[in-house]
Amino acid sequence: MTPRKTGRISLLAAVSAAALMGMAVVSTAQADDPGPISPLEVDAKKAELGKRLFFDPRLSGDGELSCSSCHQPEKGFTDGQALSDAYAGSLGFRNVPTLINTAMREAWFHDGRLGTNLNDVTRESITETYNMNMDMRLMQERLKQDPVYVKMFKEAGYGEPSNGSVRKAIPEYLKTLTSRGAPFDKGEMSEAAQAGYELFKGKAGCVQCHSGNRFTDDQPHNIGTPENPEIFKDPLRHITYVTFTKFLGVENYMNLRRDVGAYVRAHPSDRSTVGSFMTPTLRELKQTGPYMHNGMFNTLFEVVAFYNQGGGEDPNKDPLIQPLGLTFEEEKNLVAFLEALSGDVLTGPEFVPDEIDTDYQPIANWRKTPN
Amino acid sequence: MTRELSRLLSTIASAAVITALGAGTMTLTAQPSNAAESLKIESAIKGGDPDVDPALEALGPPPIPADNPQTPEKIELGKKLFFDPRLGGNPSTPCSACHLPSVGWDVEDKVSFGYPGTVHWRNSQTIVNSAYYGKLFWAGSSKSLESQAKSAAGGAVAGNGEADMMEARLAFVPEYREAFNKVFGDQWPKIGNAWRAIAAFERTIVQTDTPFDNYLRGDKNALTASQKRGLELFRGKAGCIECHNGALLSDEKYYNTGVPPLDQWNDDGLKQVTFRYELYAKGSTEKMYRHTKDDPGFYFRSKEKADKGKFRTPSLRYTLYTEPYMHNGMLATLEDVVEFYNQGGGTNEFAKNKTKLIKPLGLKKKEKADLVNFLKSLSGPEILMDEPELPDYAPLPDAAN
Repeated sequence: MTPRKTGRISLLAAVSAAALMGMAVVSTAQADDPGPISPLEVDAKKAELGKRLFFDPRLSGDGELSCSSCHQPEKGFTDGQALSDAYAGSLGFRNVPTLINTAMREAWFHDGRLGTNLNDVTRESITETYNMNMDMRLMQERLKQDPVYVKMFKEAGYGEPSNGSVRKAIPEYLKTLTSRGAPFDKGEMSEAAQAGYELFKGKAGCVQCHSGNRFTDDQPHNIGTPENPEIFKDPLRHITYVTFTKFLGVENYMNLRRDVGAYVRAHPSDRSTVGSFMTPTLRELKQTGPYMHNGMFNTLFEVVAFYNQGGGEDPNKDPLIQPLGLTFEEEKNLVAFLEALSGDVLTGPEFVPDEIDTDYQPIANWRKTPN
Repeated sequence: MTRELSRLLSTIASAAVITALGAGTMTLTAQPSNAAESLKIESAIKGGDPDVDPALEALGPPPIPADNPQTPEKIELGKKLFFDPRLGGNPSTPCSACHLPSVGWDVEDKVSFGYPGTVHWRNSQTIVNSAYYGKLFWAGSSKSLESQAKSAAGGAVAGNGEADMMEARLAFVPEYREAFNKVFGDQWPKIGNAWRAIAAFERTIVQTDTPFDNYLRGDKNALTASQKRGLELFRGKAGCIECHNGALLSDEKYYNTGVPPLDQWNDDGLKQVTFRYELYAKGSTEKMYRHTKDDPGFYFRSKEKADKGKFRTPSLRYTLYTEPYMHNGMLATLEDVVEFYNQGGGTNEFAKNKTKLIKPLGLKKKEKADLVNFLKSLSGPEILMDEPELPDYAPLPDAAN
């Protein structure tokens, strides 16, 4: 653990201790209250290219899945299911996270296993056997076969279509997916939502992890979310989990019946991070249910009730998670606040490309045309 | 089954000679046990290349590698795995997808259709008698059936499967868990053993009793008069025996015979994609990648310019069922193949490397017919097989953690 992280945790623990003693909690986030997400600077041509790539099924091994198969714009760039689908022959073992504001994350996937950049995330998502199962060398040649791409790559300043440029263009598109229009940002929260915000910052303690403009500390925490039994009842999901843990070097992978979560980041010998997951953003929740890394809760009421009872059972559970003693009215207000963090649906032409012709047209005069 | 019994069965299955040496070591030799019974037909070519051309003889049982002995249980497991689409990327490409028993254990198209969303770039080769090759694939990129199975299950335009995933899938089939444990002692099925089992199965898909084999073993009436004349042409005037020799009718060497490039590359976008992918993925210089318009073949193994356009001599056995022919399927019938050689082969962009052994033959119409008839004597009855019923997935039992 880095010294910076240690410092953070002890601070949070102190806040928690204060809460337990019934003292007024002074949120660490109050000094800089969260506000709207600032749009990111985007290269329009590169983003336009990334948008088409994001929706193009030719980026998967068998040409059946695009990024947008699981990250659907009308569902806040999730798929609306508890557990995700996967490449044909497999099913997923986690809930699809939203891609809105993803460019601002510090680490990606529910376990935070990639802490570098969206270039790497794009590579992993396209090539991983249970995601899109694509050999990017073949992908490159597919793109070179499409005159629309040849033109777009050139206009974006990338030269001819290449793997490397795909891994740059898709992140450029993802940078366009920023939250906008939430009642919270527009100063249009209902009274209930405003009351909820006070609980959020105070009695309910949510802000301890859900801090900043995206309402996440970008750190893993263990809240004792119950395991989703579907993962281990359905061989197609369990197989994917075994493949994943085997690849990541998790010991005893055939006998695991629990998602190890952020343990895969550093494999600490005390296994203290088993069952921890990255704090998710709270923006766009109205578009992105079900909730939690494994989709165990269908509604925000269920989520709030879960925290109100003090989370779930887990030997590694974060001590920050304690029963909250919220009344039904307070729970409703908290939900109202969470809903006020959802804004516009990103489904306009700015975010969704024209229909893509996925047929491969022959290159005319092929013998005389350099490859 | 005891180890002793398994060894015994392996001996029977392979008819190989087992010699016990010293303290328990075992050596399997690949000498066909009935080689001695076969007539040997020597080359009648004067001149040609300086290589010794092994005599034509009857095909004995296939060689069995010492580290993968045959057992009935292993073969049975291998048969299921050969037909099981879980050994691939998505559930659509078992080995049998491109090696379909009903069409010669290969694909009827010029080039194999390959993984969904893609197409292959070479002709699918028959499984029948693949057990005898020391070099698998058209450019000899695998040296055993075990490694061939692994490669074919993985390539982006072939099986597109990933080892960790395929291995995990096997673990969720109770019947496979039991079989891998029994055959290999695996606690959980190991993917490497899947390839071993498949190879063991493939070593049973052999044909050693063609009319030609029967003729060589003494049945004078096994060949027609035309076929006997064809045989004489084969080992003499037509010069086929220069490369198609020995019991397998292949010298397993690499030649450029001037087979023209696949015509479909001119007008099929998907095939153009695969063509470039193969150039790129197999390793080409920038200049070569930009300007090559034909399959460089063995070059990808040797990286020698002189090897561009060369392919490993295929066996001529079972060819009655394996049309179209050549590494890219550019010749549709055995008649076309004979005519191709009669004209001295063809030409391609690597013509500089074309073997000097290929010259116009000046065969008369009747001679060509005799040669085709002889080629037909290299195939026996069609080997057909129903797909086995495949065992299902089941959840794993609970485990505490």
